[in-house]
Amino acid sequence: MKFLPSKPLRLPRFRTYVPRPDDPKIFWFNSERDDIVNEVVRRTMERYDDEEAVELIISDCAYHEVRRLEGRTDDSAKRELDNWRGIIRRVGRMSLEGKHETLRTLAHDMAKDIAGNFDPRVYRFASRAVPGLLTAAMNPSNFIKNVMDSGSRLDGLIATQGPIDKIRHLSKRGTIVLVPTHSSNLDSLAVGWVLMREGISPMVYGAGKNLFSNPIISFFMHNLGAYRIDRRIRAALYKEVLKTYSCVSIERGYHSLFFPGGTRSRSGAIERRLKLGLAGTGVQAFARNQVRGIDRPVYFVPATINYALVLEAETLIDDHLKEEGRARYIIEDDEFSRVERWVSFFNKFFGLDTGCVVRFGEPIDPFGNQVDARGASLAPDGRTIDPADYVKHRGSAVIDHARDAAYTRELGKTIARAYEKETVIMPSQLVAHVIFRRLVRATPGLDLFSRLRHRGDVAIPSAELTAEIGETRDRLVALEGQGKGHPSRLLRNEAPDRLLDRVLGTWGDYHSKPIASVSNGSVIAADPNLLLFYQNRVRNFACDIAGSSPADRVAAKEIAALEKTPS
Amino acid sequence: MPVAIVGGGTFGQGLALAAARTGRRVLLWSRTARELGHEHIQCTTDLAQLSQAEIMFVAVPSPHINGVADSLCPHVSGAQMMVHVSRGVVGDELTTVSEVLRRRTPCRRVGVLAGPLVAGALAEGAPSGGVVGTLFPEVADAVIEAIGGPKLRVYTTTDVIGVELGAAFVGLVALALGFAMAQKLGPSTLAVLATRGLAEGARVGSIFGANERTFAGLAGAGDLMAAIAGDQRPEVAFGMALANGMAAEQAAQRAGAYVEGVAIARRIAAWADHHEVDVPISTAIAHLIKGEISGEQVVHELMTRPIGTGE
Repeated sequence: MKFLPSKPLRLPRFRTYVPRPDDPKIFWFNSERDDIVNEVVRRTMERYDDEEAVELIISDCAYHEVRRLEGRTDDSAKRELDNWRGIIRRVGRMSLEGKHETLRTLAHDMAKDIAGNFDPRVYRFASRAVPGLLTAAMNPSNFIKNVMDSGSRLDGLIATQGPIDKIRHLSKRGTIVLVPTHSSNLDSLAVGWVLMREGISPMVYGAGKNLFSNPIISFFMHNLGAYRIDRRIRAALYKEVLKTYSCVSIERGYHSLFFPGGTRSRSGAIERRLKLGLAGTGVQAFARNQVRGIDRPVYFVPATINYALVLEAETLIDDHLKEEGRARYIIEDDEFSRVERWVSFFNKFFGLDTGCVVRFGEPIDPFGNQVDARGASLAPDGRTIDPADYVKHRGSAVIDHARDAAYTRELGKTIARAYEKETVIMPSQLVAHVIFRRLVRATPGLDLFSRLRHRGDVAIPSAELTAEIGETRDRLVALEGQGKGHPSRLLRNEAPDRLLDRVLGTWGDYHSKPIASVSNGSVIAADPNLLLFYQNRVRNFACDIAGSSPADRVAAKEIAALEKTPS
Repeated sequence: MPVAIVGGGTFGQGLALAAARTGRRVLLWSRTARELGHEHIQCTTDLAQLSQAEIMFVAVPSPHINGVADSLCPHVSGAQMMVHVSRGVVGDELTTVSEVLRRRTPCRRVGVLAGPLVAGALAEGAPSGGVVGTLFPEVADAVIEAIGGPKLRVYTTTDVIGVELGAAFVGLVALALGFAMAQKLGPSTLAVLATRGLAEGARVGSIFGANERTFAGLAGAGDLMAAIAGDQRPEVAFGMALANGMAAEQAAQRAGAYVEGVAIARRIAAWADHHEVDVPISTAIAHLIKGEISGEQVVHELMTRPIGTGE
């Protein structure tokens, strides 16, 4: 099976690399990669053992690949199509051995294409040089200074919150499955930087092949643990191989990162409906190790990634609001793929007080139980319990896919609750919410799309808006005690008028159109789409932070009900 | 491994007898000491003894579920399965009993058993059936193994929330039907009330992710038919007593057992008001129980409402 034309670039190695004893597990990855691929193939063969099953899975694969490739006219696609059509013609007449061999080849090719790579040399280079180079590239006038001291600037721009020491300890005790929210293609860079800075082992993670199109990004991703997922492939076999790859990796102790939202949040809201197909392999991996008598804990760590400014905001919200057809799952032509938007974004980003907050939640075991600092699972009464019990049937650990799927579904609800609790609300989100609420109040009886056409129509006297921002902020701070979100440091401490000025300044110069502008002592709601995007982050709290006026309460209920608007 | 029953009321006793008929050893826990005089059933007041059991049926009224779950917590582990038979919900956000059990104990393999199960029929071994709602096939298998057999057909579904809310709405509608029957309202009125009441339940259930079809099955329509046919549901007795002029407190005493339907009506009406969901029957029943409106006013309000476009 041939895949995307760009081959991963690996540095030549002139002598065998031997990791140090205290190096993270991922440093051993390359020496285990072939073994992992072989294990994936072995399990796939085991799963499709009987003749009917193997013929069905091969036919399904061929059918989906022919459909995918039919529209293409390049030579590579034509060769692949010929190959697949040949398989379709032959599979019915193949002997059982022939079918098994065909399946083995397909599974092996898929697993090999998916399999990641980790080069400790690239990791060391990235941790020392990349922040400086990145800052310098965006601000060439102080090139040398930026290269030398930008590590500390990036430190200040990307804040970390949560039980870091505990997570660091757990990463040495068991296997971490990090499950952050997903708003931007910069998320893996932000998380990677945070893990590096906090001394937590790097993680393997699946990245869509479309992200490997930029050669520089591709080089770093490919050599820092990313494995490649081709989202264009619909064949059941591919999904099976992918999940098996993930399961085998976690079984062997490779910390893993998944975005349970599946794709970047188009609406800007915190994810509530999670796709746990891959993350669920953490549950299976735990069970499989127990069956083999290996007691290797697995810890799920929910995290939220919170931006003052979102690089791809304009494209994402436009996609969310598309009325005709479904929103695109793979977006290849957004701001992430345009150099000039990167430059503009990072110029603004490096001028912010805090550009991004990565907040880690409390780690949990695969069954949703809290874990203590030592990594022991805790019952609700604080008693230590044995997570192995969850995969036992009459005293013995057993593999049960239906059981593990049920555990995964419940785990999804726990993670979704953690996301709501651990959201860090940035000034841009709160200010957008207050302005949007005023827009809703000023346009009673309209549906969302009619409201969004009111560009520049709604003007709010600045003094009134400032007061409302302050009052809403105070109500938000009070919610923190109820386990509903965390206002950022700036949002909590800054005076309301300074908050408004900062946010308008943040939005200006980056977004291609003004989100809100000031005119004659009033703030004009200029771009309702982007106001909607930023305020969607707090829409779950809308009713809790609304004022006491009936108009505010009605507007808050309408905003809270936006979650039900189909995307 | 023994089967445990938490709750020594009539339903708990019926479950214990059903399990004993399959030849399993049964541990029946109740707050106060009792004896059933059955060779396979060991009565106990010590929750710690239940830790031997593979599957535990929880048969306590919903007001006690938080306390019972907290008491059970030290004695259970992830190895155990818990199936409740409550027809109530907890708190203003309509938290289900299965959710309470998951949050307050380490058990995750949780399910709900509902449908036209009558304590007397369970105890006697008369032919009957029910439905177990669970995401875990092994829980469904364990329920069937524990109490199923030639006299008790146990069906399964993964729509846990549908079964739980279906059972809750049956209590509310049964209360309304008891009232209507005592007021000598005819079969047509009873039929409209029963059907539209379940439709209201299905509408609320779908907001929580339930499958509306579950309300037409054993947990909904099936259970409601048993209630009307005379399964001695306390809600029916309560509704009748209310119709005969008793105040709510007296009517509850006349019912002879905890009446889940009363709290359900109040909670659903309050929840629906907060979330702006239309539940005319639940709201009318809640006002009726509080004595704010009469039966005639209920009939008038429900009969003069505009008819919606949905079924």
